[in-house]
Amino acid sequence: MMIDHDKSQPRHQYGKTGGADRGYDRDLTVVGGGSFGTALASLAAGNDKKVIMWVRRPEQAAEISEQHTNERYLPGHDLPGDLQATSDMERAVRASRTVIVAIPSKSFRAVTSMLGEYLTGDQVVVHSTKGLELNTHRRMSEILTEETCAKKIGALSGPNLAKEIMGGDPAGCLVASRFAEVRHSLQVIYGGSRFRLYSGHDVVGTEIAGAFKNIVALACGAAHGMGFGQNTVSLLITRGLSEMTRFGLTMGANVFTFGGLAGVGDLVATCTSPLSRNHKVGVRLGKGEPLAEILDSMTQVAEGVPTVAAVQQFAKQRHLNLPIVNGVHALVHEAMKPNDVMRLLMSIPVGQELAVLPHG
Amino acid sequence: MDPEHREELIVEVVQRVLDRQARDDRSAEQALFDTLYHERRRLEHHPDEHGSEASFYDRIYSEATKAAPGRHRELLRKVLQQFANEVDGHFDRRVYAMATKAVPVALNVLLNTLSPLRLVETIQARLAGSADVVDDIGLAGQIEISGHTEQVKRLARIGTTILVPTHSSNLDSVLIGFALHQLGLPPYTYGAGLNLFANPVVGFFIGHLGAYTVDRRKTAPTYKDLLKTYAGATMETGYHNLFFPGGTRGRSGAVEHKLKLGLLGMGLNAYINNLLAGRRRPDIFVVPATINYQLVLEAETLIDDHLKATGKSRYIIEDDEFSRPRRILDFMTKLFSLHSKIDIVVSRPMDVFGNPVDDEGRSLDPKGRIIDRSRYVLTNDVIGHEPQRDREYTRELARSVGEAFHRDTLIKSTNLVSYAAFQALKHKNPKTGLYRLLRSSTERSVSVKDLYRHMEQTHHRVLDLAQAGRVRIDDTVRSQDTVAIVGEALAHLGSYHSNPAIVRKANRILYPDPKLVLYYGNRLSGFGLDDLEA
Repeated sequence: MMIDHDKSQPRHQYGKTGGADRGYDRDLTVVGGGSFGTALASLAAGNDKKVIMWVRRPEQAAEISEQHTNERYLPGHDLPGDLQATSDMERAVRASRTVIVAIPSKSFRAVTSMLGEYLTGDQVVVHSTKGLELNTHRRMSEILTEETCAKKIGALSGPNLAKEIMGGDPAGCLVASRFAEVRHSLQVIYGGSRFRLYSGHDVVGTEIAGAFKNIVALACGAAHGMGFGQNTVSLLITRGLSEMTRFGLTMGANVFTFGGLAGVGDLVATCTSPLSRNHKVGVRLGKGEPLAEILDSMTQVAEGVPTVAAVQQFAKQRHLNLPIVNGVHALVHEAMKPNDVMRLLMSIPVGQELAVLPHG
Repeated sequence: MDPEHREELIVEVVQRVLDRQARDDRSAEQALFDTLYHERRRLEHHPDEHGSEASFYDRIYSEATKAAPGRHRELLRKVLQQFANEVDGHFDRRVYAMATKAVPVALNVLLNTLSPLRLVETIQARLAGSADVVDDIGLAGQIEISGHTEQVKRLARIGTTILVPTHSSNLDSVLIGFALHQLGLPPYTYGAGLNLFANPVVGFFIGHLGAYTVDRRKTAPTYKDLLKTYAGATMETGYHNLFFPGGTRGRSGAVEHKLKLGLLGMGLNAYINNLLAGRRRPDIFVVPATINYQLVLEAETLIDDHLKATGKSRYIIEDDEFSRPRRILDFMTKLFSLHSKIDIVVSRPMDVFGNPVDDEGRSLDPKGRIIDRSRYVLTNDVIGHEPQRDREYTRELARSVGEAFHRDTLIKSTNLVSYAAFQALKHKNPKTGLYRLLRSSTERSVSVKDLYRHMEQTHHRVLDLAQAGRVRIDDTVRSQDTVAIVGEALAHLGSYHSNPAIVRKANRILYPDPKLVLYYGNRLSGFGLDDLEA
């Protein structure tokens, strides 16, 4: 049923209890039916929490609610029986105080703008999207601030390959927010499960780390694709971490974030696991396949592809020298041959390894 | 307002501070001795004239050292009571109530006292029987008020407003008082530093325009807590409040971006208390404003203080231009003779979370959708204070206020030309550090051509910023060419200050006081013009 929404009136009139009649009947809403969104929803549902998902297509909602599968994004996995999904954004958003947004960066703004129609100020909104918006270079939490009334915002990031999580492997993740309530809400939802949530304050660093590691994963994938071994991958991971940190510091991040789960933790997982989408794209690029063909054959988004363009644009404006970013950009968006990229990277004059770190 | 109300307010304020600072015997004892330490040390450095304060604190100290644990709380109450009486001392509610009519007269008398010429004109006009003469003469001609004035007038009727202007001069509070009258708004309650009373003429008016007293020499945390609580309590009681969120007058000349969160946060605190008390009109609206001068009365002292070994600037300045009536007179005379306008820009009002509000006082989200702001303070469906959450909300508010300050800053010719002139100087001396540049610039100069070149670049960028709504500009900057803008700026910068900031000699621009050039140009820092800097 559609509720007639009178725009001239506040969505809730305050009384002494601030319009508490809203009565949330779920513990968590997950916006987005991709692999990680589904994994997060399933984990919470499996942890005795009442969860509702919003997905764009009604057929997908029906599949999740009735057949308890999400074949397109998590083939072969059974979802918890009481996990519900809907394509009605209003119903989903009004159901829970805590909302996780797991939407690719490309459509993040459009979806959060819809979300903004129904969100209220008491709700906690956390996103798990690892990317930057192209052209505006906005972080996802900034988009949430620009599109909705939410203030209690956080970012979820860390080494979390959806398939491993669905397989029940123990994993950990970082929830970063300036609001204690946000950090606490998420820890309550996942407390006691096999998914450990650590908390931090540095939203900027967490988001930058999450976005940036996909670029390094593309580079490592390409190295694997070209037949190089672990030395090369390790070189890329370490120097990628250095670039990530340098980039993050100019954005106001805390240097320690990059040494934690959301930084080096996620970097190691994404750059070494064949399950990583960005890594997979990198491998195929390294073998010389054109980008368009690779993307055509994929059902899921490899965030590193748009992110490397956003980061490179931004770094150029700030006169930052990020060789790996430039190399990956040349490989992905300028159709440079993998061997030429590697030659270019290896010919850069050497410098001080730890020059990036602030020292007293 | 009846005196009984005042009693109630003070009792409430003292009790709230006591509840926070003296939760148990141990914290009461600690807060008491800490306060006594700060107060007695203050009196050592600044003895009071009659010695009555010193004997009061000696007495309390003597009792405190002998007191049983439970008694410290009562002694602390006595001290807080003393603080509250001092703070509230100048705040005469009868005057506050009738000040709506008194403000314009008072201010004009003030300015006419400062300007004998004006006084003569006023008398002549009065004799000639002109109506509304009080408003037409003096300040009215010099001050331009623009921005969201109508909305603020509406909101002041349906809720309590907190006016938070930028702060560069002690004249600010006088001008704001005048602007409030011009807008038909009642006077605003505000905390005036004791140093404002150093100027005998201004001190008299300030003391009677709804001001309560802030003694910055008092450093005890309990005193600071009491001040904040007092301001919050007046907000809850429905008094419109005025304070400068930058804390003190900006020293560098730049638009303030680091704002004090303590007082700003009292708006949210009062809002929550109002909701909890079920008040009919619980709403508190925050109204940023910018005060824009072509010349700043105390510019020399302020920039000097800013440049004194970074971080060691004086919090209290009592011996500046403002304490010398003669200097204020010179200043006013210069402004009048140069037809210089002081612009007050009233920003769009916002709620205590930093969201914009509409004409009816409803909060809007970034997309202009109406939202219920009371939901921000719900925890598990119950309204309440959450210190950690509320601090973050206040940080958001401060960010919104800071953005409004920048957006509504009005750039004048002195700012533009000073910025360009300083860039030209730096460009010519690329290897000279800032302090050396400022120290030994008597022999420094640039060609007029160089200044014009830097001016054109800066002007172009500032016009773009204004076009994008990121800053405001005055008519001269908007419509005049480089030569005219430089001409107007030189007339100002070369006239009022002890030494001219810059002067033109034939085809050279000289820098008799480069610090002032830095000061006026700094207004343009924080607008992303860094790439113009050599």
